[in-house]
Amino acid sequence: MAQNKTQQHIRTLDIDKKIVANIDNGIIVLNKELNIYHYNKWLELHTGIQESTILHKKIDEVFTSINSKTLKRKIKTALRIQTPTFYTASTSKYLIPIPINHLNNSSFEYMQQDISIIPFDEEKGLVALILTDQTIMANTNALLEANIQTIKELNSELIKEKETIDKKVLVIKFDKTFRIVDVSRALLKLLHYEKEELLEKNFLFHEKYHMSKECQMELVYAMKELKVLDFEESTLSAHGHKICFKSTLIPEYNAKGIHIGFIIFRENITYSKRLEQSQEKILASSRSAAMGEMVSMIAHQWRQPLSLINTLMATLKIKQELNLLSNEDINEAFKKIQTTTSYLSDTIDDFRDYFKPNKKSSDINILSLFDNSIFFLKEEMHQNNIQYKIEVAGSISINTFKNELLQSIINIIKNSIDAFMLSPIKIQNREITVGVEKLKSHVAITIKDNAGGIDKEILQKVFEPYFSTKSKNGTGLGLHMCHTIITGHLKGNIIITSENDTTTTLIELPYKILKDKDESSLPPLF
Amino acid sequence: MPKFDLTEDEKDVLQELMNVAYGNATAVVADMLDAFASLSIPRIKIMQTNELLATFAELKRESYFFSTQAFNGNFSGENAFFINQESANNLAKHLELENSEDLDDAILELTNVLTSSLTTKLSQEMNTEVSFSLPTLSKIIPQEISKTATFQHYSQVIVIDTDLNFEDQQIHGKIFILTKDESIQWLKTKLNSILELLT
Repeated sequence: MAQNKTQQHIRTLDIDKKIVANIDNGIIVLNKELNIYHYNKWLELHTGIQESTILHKKIDEVFTSINSKTLKRKIKTALRIQTPTFYTASTSKYLIPIPINHLNNSSFEYMQQDISIIPFDEEKGLVALILTDQTIMANTNALLEANIQTIKELNSELIKEKETIDKKVLVIKFDKTFRIVDVSRALLKLLHYEKEELLEKNFLFHEKYHMSKECQMELVYAMKELKVLDFEESTLSAHGHKICFKSTLIPEYNAKGIHIGFIIFRENITYSKRLEQSQEKILASSRSAAMGEMVSMIAHQWRQPLSLINTLMATLKIKQELNLLSNEDINEAFKKIQTTTSYLSDTIDDFRDYFKPNKKSSDINILSLFDNSIFFLKEEMHQNNIQYKIEVAGSISINTFKNELLQSIINIIKNSIDAFMLSPIKIQNREITVGVEKLKSHVAITIKDNAGGIDKEILQKVFEPYFSTKSKNGTGLGLHMCHTIITGHLKGNIIITSENDTTTTLIELPYKILKDKDESSLPPLF
Repeated sequence: MPKFDLTEDEKDVLQELMNVAYGNATAVVADMLDAFASLSIPRIKIMQTNELLATFAELKRESYFFSTQAFNGNFSGENAFFINQESANNLAKHLELENSEDLDDAILELTNVLTSSLTTKLSQEMNTEVSFSLPTLSKIIPQEISKTATFQHYSQVIVIDTDLNFEDQQIHGKIFILTKDESIQWLKTKLNSILELLT
């Protein structure tokens, strides 16, 4: 019996000394009034306070951060219900302030603690506080929470972006078997379809009636090879309207990089397609108009030489009737007629050469360009009593498309001549003045006439196609084409202003056009 | 019908045991809150997990605090306690709490007192012992509870609707005792032995 008691005593001592003292937990025994009855070795080591110095002291006086009211309540409850009560690290953080010396800790100043308050001696009103270090767990939780917050924020941004894409971007998705799996609201709205009407349908089957065979082949090939493809397509809306798209096919992969289907992003180009078609019509009209202009200019150019031939023929006829015609006269007249007809032929060749669009830019001298322009118009200016002046500061050369610029200049000067002819009042000192100035980044050409100016309202519309003030004689394409050529092909700028009976056309041109013109970008006028 | 469903008689006995256990919890809560408090007669229901999820769905409209505490022994499972925002605010006022962390702690304490005194008393009535884990305040929002796999582990759920009435304010909460099949089997045996004693 005595041996049993001894064994029990040894066991108790062992448990106290070896286990309780060395356990990796803090253990404090307290009474209801918070007086300390036991303070284990673990706590001594972690807090640097010896049990002997604080025994029977009140714990809230040793650690002033403790809320005594809450601790007393928990102790009272534990004793009352005879089961443990708790403090948890997730809500209470810590009870005993123990500074942390963990290397991998990033969030906390003090050890985070779970505390179980265990009823120990009901009679004496004692409880044991078992303190467990939860710092690593709390730290992990804090990191996790911060990451969850980041993920939530990213997710909410992603949802917003997805909504925006759905609302604004034309997208259709289909799986590997070409079954449509998603269509953006923007595309559905444009096509006047409900999502259910398109989902599960075969994309190729649904679209094939509206896609050229070539396009279909190209698309199928790109899908087979999992390539990105830019292509143009058209489809019909539920209302039967043709809608043109500039589209991009992209293979779609899941997060593991496995191919799951395709996405097609579409851009609605129906409007620009229509515009392109109408531009083509304008160009066609422009060609006819320019042809008319050319015939008219040739007529002006031919009038004087034809009249010369006529005079020579009449002189021959008269001399023949009066029997005064000598072989010498005939030879001389033939020579003159030959020279004149050869001039007429040259004139046509010149016109034809100048009205062919250039495929490549070349260096041109501005002064000689104006000389060429005036060659076609000088007769008409002379007949209408118009003085022509040009002021060029030195020799100025630029690299541009020669004939396009020539056509534009002829068009502008021809407009000035027409303005003089159509003016309701007789204008004295009729003048067309050209000025050319070298600036840092470009060359500025001004063409001025004093033909009465242009009304403000009309001035706003001069570059619009089919706008003309010349009633039935004008096609309204001249200045529109000048604008298209100068801004589009010659990469320059054209501005027309009018003040005090004078109209000024300012043309700004770069010294060099960097890229050669695409042959297809400007259809030939003849 | 699930294998371990309780019969009407078994449910009656369990209801009686719960009433006794709940009376005990009332006294402890009043003691803990240091105020005159009365707990309304509990409305006890036993339901399957799918019914439980439907009950949670009804809670979605309000903001809830949701705390759980596991218990182990022959009779093992998990207690869950729901308390809405308004009731939590009333509790905070009563305990004169200053910040939200203190409120979280008070909710955990209330959970611990209610569920452990209830479960302890219930296990005493059935001559067994249980031990409790630390209660945790769950961050799961009600909308996501049905997706939480944990609930799929339980088959029978004992639901106790309760009201804590103070002189000036009211605290309403719901206690769910979630048990697994093996515990239900054990519970059935115990309930039947009590039934035999009664007859």
